[in-house]
Amino acid sequence: MQLRYVFTELRTGLRRNLSAHLAVILTLFVSLSLAGVGILIQREADLAANKLGDELKILVNLCTVDDPTLRQGNQNCASGEVTEAQQKRIEAEIDRNEEVESFEYLSSEVSFQNAKDSGIISEAASSGPDPVVSPETWPAGYWVTLENPENADGIISALEGLDGVSVIKDEREALGQIFGIMKVLKYGSWIGSGFLLLAALLQVTNTIRLAALARRREIGIMRLVGASTLYIALPFLLESLVTAIVGVALAAGSLASFQYWGIEKGLAEHVNFLPWVGWDDYAQSLIGVFPPGIVLLGPALTLVPTLLLTRKYVKV
Amino acid sequence: MIRFEKVTKRYAGPGKSALDQVTLDIDKGEFVYLVGTSGSGKSTALRLVLRELRPTTGRVYVAGKEINRMAGWKVPRLRRQIGTVFQDFRLLPNKTVAENVAFAQQVIGKSQRDINRVVPETLELVGLKDKADRMPDELSGGEQQRVAVARAYVNKPMILIADEPTGNLDPQTSVGIMNLLADINQAGTTVVMATHDHGIVDQFTKRVIELEHGKVIRDEAAGSYGFQHLDNQEG
Repeated sequence: MQLRYVFTELRTGLRRNLSAHLAVILTLFVSLSLAGVGILIQREADLAANKLGDELKILVNLCTVDDPTLRQGNQNCASGEVTEAQQKRIEAEIDRNEEVESFEYLSSEVSFQNAKDSGIISEAASSGPDPVVSPETWPAGYWVTLENPENADGIISALEGLDGVSVIKDEREALGQIFGIMKVLKYGSWIGSGFLLLAALLQVTNTIRLAALARRREIGIMRLVGASTLYIALPFLLESLVTAIVGVALAAGSLASFQYWGIEKGLAEHVNFLPWVGWDDYAQSLIGVFPPGIVLLGPALTLVPTLLLTRKYVKV
Repeated sequence: MIRFEKVTKRYAGPGKSALDQVTLDIDKGEFVYLVGTSGSGKSTALRLVLRELRPTTGRVYVAGKEINRMAGWKVPRLRRQIGTVFQDFRLLPNKTVAENVAFAQQVIGKSQRDINRVVPETLELVGLKDKADRMPDELSGGEQQRVAVARAYVNKPMILIADEPTGNLDPQTSVGIMNLLADINQAGTTVVMATHDHGIVDQFTKRVIELEHGKVIRDEAAGSYGFQHLDNQEG
């Protein structure tokens, strides 16, 4: 096979349809970038769910001296700070619940420190001569780990009416919002990229059709003198491959920027209670098989329609 | 070399058959004119030989092979044994004379060494060696048709199909092209030429197969064009 001829034709074809190829490249670039972001968000959601799913706990805060929930009508704290008897009753209730895997008592000091560490209490609020919050006013409580974090309703209903129980916090509620936002972002980027990928597909189709039209005389002669279908189709396939490679390279670059500036230097530095996707996840967004990474998606989007169309236009 | 066995070709839609139960044999090394009015089935017959079309019924054999049953991937190999020349030359305007001829070799994967050897030889055969670097639009009609013949012959095909090769040429130039085709035929290539040019048919006496409404109505070993009243009709 005369590769020199094929590459000459490739160069001519790329130059002849430069604007059409640029349009395909730009559409591929944006759509593959969005698809890659969708994959990263999907992996982030999986990562967060896997990491935190087993650790999801229920926090049972005990009543303090002047418990803020009293003003909201919580009669559990009507007798003031939790008494020893009340605490024993609460602990016994937790202990005998079959859904509970383990539990841990946290004193006011430990709870206060945990809240400070996770950023719930700011440094300003807890420092100075007259701090807004202090270990003395911070509630003690229990961290309850469940056998199955999905089955929290039983223990919550068992505890919520007991005297001495101030607040029951289910971590799933807070994390559920984060997962909800991730889901919206993931589907949003996939839907957006889906439309753009469709646009790229149609642009590839139009470009090949135009290229075949521009070369119809040549193709006619090639067929008559006995060139094989592959040989006739090869310049078209290579043109598509080149546009795919450029589109994928640009998208890979934009995803790398997103990974570095958006995640590593952005979200990961400010939101540290969640694990964040890393460079191995980035690699999966490029070369993954399911969902297909952009290295597979890009060439598939350009080569498949090219193959189908060239079969139609250059059929011997 | 070429055999039609009760070949019928019907196109989609209403109308008569383009070819109707045609049976004919063309031997190796023959020179055959296909004559007939427009719509008589000449071009359909040529396209069947090239396997651009398949017969509705009947069988077409080329070089001993039944080509209507041939797998698609084998068709290019068949066509490498058949050269084709058209009335409108069909040269590539952005390539020189030599490049146009070389194109037929390049696209079937011949080596550059072969191309460098065979193309000048073929251009010499058609009398255009000194115009190898000219562009097609710098040539006369007759010269352009010579380039087309060179391109059809450069792969040394067993069969050369010529569809109205003199249709766009003046009588004197047409004679030049006919001499060239006769030389190629003399070298052993079977030539099948569809034509309306009665002057040529009468001057270069060869076998004549006449088609009318898709049927063979005459097959003469050394025939004339006949039917002079149809001179002015196009094919």
